Amino acid sequence: MTMPRFNKTAVLWIAALVVAVNGFFPALWILFTSFKTETELMRVPITIFPTAPTFENYIRVFTDQPIHLFLWNSFMVATLSTLLCVTVSALAAYALVRLRMPSPGLILTTLLAITMFPLISLMVPLFQVMRSLELLNTWWALILPYAVLSMPVCTMVLVSFFQDIPAELENAAMIDGCSRIGALWHVVIPLTAPGVFTAGILAFVNAWDEFLLALTLAPRVSARTVPVGITLYQGEFAFPWPIISAALVIAIVPISILIAVFQERVVGGLTQGGMKG
Amino acid sequence: MSATPVVRHRLTKLERAEQRLGWALLAPAFLLLVGVVLYPVVELINQSFRFNQLTMPWMGTPFIGFDNYTKALGDPRFWHATLNTLIFIIVTVPGAVIVGLGLALLANKPFTVKWPVRLGLLLPWALPLVFAGLIFRWFFEYNVGLVNAVIKMFGGQPLTWLSDPTLAMIGIFVAIIWKTSSFVALVLLAGLQTIPKSLYEAAEVDGASSWQQFWEITLPMLRPAIVVALIFRTITAIQTFDIPYAMTNGGPGDATETLAMYIHKNTIDFLDIGYGSALAVLMFVVSALVTAVYLRHTQRNPARVAT
Amino acid sequence: MNRRFFTAASLALALAAGFAGEAEAQAPTTTLRIFTGGQQRPDVMRQILDVYMQRNPGVRVDVEVGGATSEQQQQYLNTVLASRDPTLDVVLIDVIRPAQYAAAQWAEPLDAFLGAERDAVMARYLPAYREANIVNGRVIALPYFADAQFLFFRRDLLEKHGIQPPRTWDQLREAAKTVMQRENNPNLAGFLTAGAPIEGTVCTYMVPMWGAGGNLTNAQGQLQLNTPAARRPFDLWAQMRAENVTPPNIAEIVTDRARQNFQAGNAVFNMNWAFNWQRFQGDADSQVRDRVGVIPLPGFTPDSAATCIGGWQLAITAFSRNKQAAYNLIRFLSSPEVSKMQAILASHMPVFAEVYTDPDVLRANPWFAQALPVVQTARSRPVTPAYPQVSEIIRTNMNAFLAGTRTADQALQDMTTRLTPLMAIR
Repeated sequence: MTMPRFNKTAVLWIAALVVAVNGFFPALWILFTSFKTETELMRVPITIFPTAPTFENYIRVFTDQPIHLFLWNSFMVATLSTLLCVTVSALAAYALVRLRMPSPGLILTTLLAITMFPLISLMVPLFQVMRSLELLNTWWALILPYAVLSMPVCTMVLVSFFQDIPAELENAAMIDGCSRIGALWHVVIPLTAPGVFTAGILAFVNAWDEFLLALTLAPRVSARTVPVGITLYQGEFAFPWPIISAALVIAIVPISILIAVFQERVVGGLTQGGMKG
Repeated sequence: MSATPVVRHRLTKLERAEQRLGWALLAPAFLLLVGVVLYPVVELINQSFRFNQLTMPWMGTPFIGFDNYTKALGDPRFWHATLNTLIFIIVTVPGAVIVGLGLALLANKPFTVKWPVRLGLLLPWALPLVFAGLIFRWFFEYNVGLVNAVIKMFGGQPLTWLSDPTLAMIGIFVAIIWKTSSFVALVLLAGLQTIPKSLYEAAEVDGASSWQQFWEITLPMLRPAIVVALIFRTITAIQTFDIPYAMTNGGPGDATETLAMYIHKNTIDFLDIGYGSALAVLMFVVSALVTAVYLRHTQRNPARVAT
Repeated sequence: MNRRFFTAASLALALAAGFAGEAEAQAPTTTLRIFTGGQQRPDVMRQILDVYMQRNPGVRVDVEVGGATSEQQQQYLNTVLASRDPTLDVVLIDVIRPAQYAAAQWAEPLDAFLGAERDAVMARYLPAYREANIVNGRVIALPYFADAQFLFFRRDLLEKHGIQPPRTWDQLREAAKTVMQRENNPNLAGFLTAGAPIEGTVCTYMVPMWGAGGNLTNAQGQLQLNTPAARRPFDLWAQMRAENVTPPNIAEIVTDRARQNFQAGNAVFNMNWAFNWQRFQGDADSQVRDRVGVIPLPGFTPDSAATCIGGWQLAITAFSRNKQAAYNLIRFLSSPEVSKMQAILASHMPVFAEVYTDPDVLRANPWFAQALPVVQTARSRPVTPAYPQVSEIIRTNMNAFLAGTRTADQALQDMTTRLTPLMAIR
């Protein structure tokens, strides 16, 4: 590097600051907002830190709308669709990588081509399918499409992971008396756990974030997810921004904890699995 | 010797068994796709040729040929929504890639404490789009929004961000690029870390500047990752809905309305299933074109396109 | 103040209902489910339903709360009712919806249940609500509470500068300009109302149009957009904007943002719905408590004033499996007794003329005395099964005009092109 040494630390600090501020700032801003009263929020000039912090908004979040139910719905929908997606994708990816399928490239392409169709354009027929299956306003109305939503990502991540497992390991296990499935379960899955995990997190976040299908297929309180629940807080006669902020904070915290705990796995998984080719 | 044919025979048998197992393992994936994608696609096309107004059940759902399509092609609102969708693709896809590349380069520095930077990239990625829309709507609020507060601090006049068509588009661009650039950055960061250090060391020996290293090594080596990011962003950009829905709900007028929003309006608000289906088929055509481009890329190197 | 009334009223009602601490042990035989919006005070509805359940031990009523705007509620009900979901028995719908519900066959007509007393029952309601709920001769829903737009103004500021409350739009503009100029406060807006592309903005167009003596259609159902009255709203709002009476961001203001800004002391006038009063006087952090006046909306001449009717109706869904029980429930919810409860507990405007003069109601809402004539003369937005489209066309054009992206000619042209085919649907 042509840069003088003393500047290097400064560059590091600035780089870290830019990335961190860019990422954290909006979340911090709504955190501050969530402790303000509506009057303080409407005050000109605006304040940054709440002048008289109040917990009222957090209480209102739980009393105005059943946000705990929304969180539970989101959690269950995301978890179940992730399990479904990872299972289905893992089986498919394994078949394509290991079992001598005729032209696996074509099958993979077909699979991906189908999933590439924008699910949003299928809003109407999906609505009608779910309606005839009487699944509207149930978790399943979202679990099934969400599993498809993340299938290309999961399948690709897992294909690239499976390709990295030497076939000899499996063959050795099969010689030791394991079946194909046994070998998959005992040898391949543990070795690809990071890949499965990455695929799982990606699918989970995709499902947690989805809005349009949730708004269309399951808007009912009993099945309503967090993004829909919070968006419906704003109304014609109410745009209770401090309460919405508090709700946003409550909704962001679980997913932030998840990615904070598993951050190395996520980024590492993306690094290892994502770009291998 | 007779051993060779026997071995070959046993191999084919094993192969057949393996193929059967292979199809069995692929079956759940295909089943799911048939139920959630293929059947709805057939149904969508069927409905697009019918009159189907849920608010007028006594009319039934008669077949009306291409009427819905003719109506769409003569509907300025449809063309405007298509144009807006294309503008969102053209601006926010490269925008997110450029900002994402910047973030990735910054995040690729040799930090001793890695978590603030890592979380800084992961948090926007994990935030629902519609939340980003809600937050930026408030940032761009006229009286008490942060952006106008900053403008006023520097002595400027506050701007009507969400009720001026151009400014509203810009506001939405900013929100989309902020939200999606972190995903791009994560993909590109992964790409950056696969570039062998030795390349840079060799370049340094040759006396190449940082700028030259970026153009000669980083960018070419990152090309596959950038293509992946571009494609994935494009596919999501076609479906742009959440952020404009939360920020402007298409306003002012229909200035920021996207195709997905117009379809949603026709089907869920107006319950015009026939017309909504025809619009969806047309949107489908747009994304099929993009998918075709995507497939041309993947077929050359399938496993490269991940995440 | 409010809390005291709240407690007192609940107590009185509880006593009237005849429960003095003894819980009924009888198991409910019928469970009904009622849908209401987040803005229609579900808390108050629950109070009222508690009374009903006390009196009818065989019935349990669950409340389901939906989105907060009229459009959001309807989007939600669209998905539920289009799927012929039988789990909702009663739905609370906006005053603009009965025609659509009748056409889509989502609401069970009530004539058979009302039987011989049909006309007598309907005659007791305020005329506007009687008409809004009868579609093609059939009773589609019963009124729950009334609403209308009023002009809220800063009484303190007008008094300080010696200005009379305005009765015409010209007076309003002059008053706003004078106050803004003398107060010299850059954050003080002259006039606020909804301008964003939301349902309320339909009224932002209709009110001045009616005030100029016009209407969207004539008696034969033909569009009347080529009349001078159809152009008046554009001229009025353009002039208000040019004179800085409305703020530059008028096109992004939603109903509640107007309320919030006024409540924070940042506006002189606010054209808004009745619920505002409760917030201005009741909210702990209100900056305008006891400094607000409320009067009928101005007209172009003192006698040409018009206002937009609002309010919420109770319909039985066609898919309910407990229609008789649901009918009994809505007859109770649409009674003078419940109208009074709502007026006291939520400042909801009654749908019966006599409740406006009830002393208890007037004690909680002194301004209801002047509100009655306003509600009695309030006008309906277009009645059509295609209302969602009609509304969308009007509000999008009004919003585009306020944002300066469409001229009055362009807006009128677009409205004419797109409304004409819809008006053919009857």
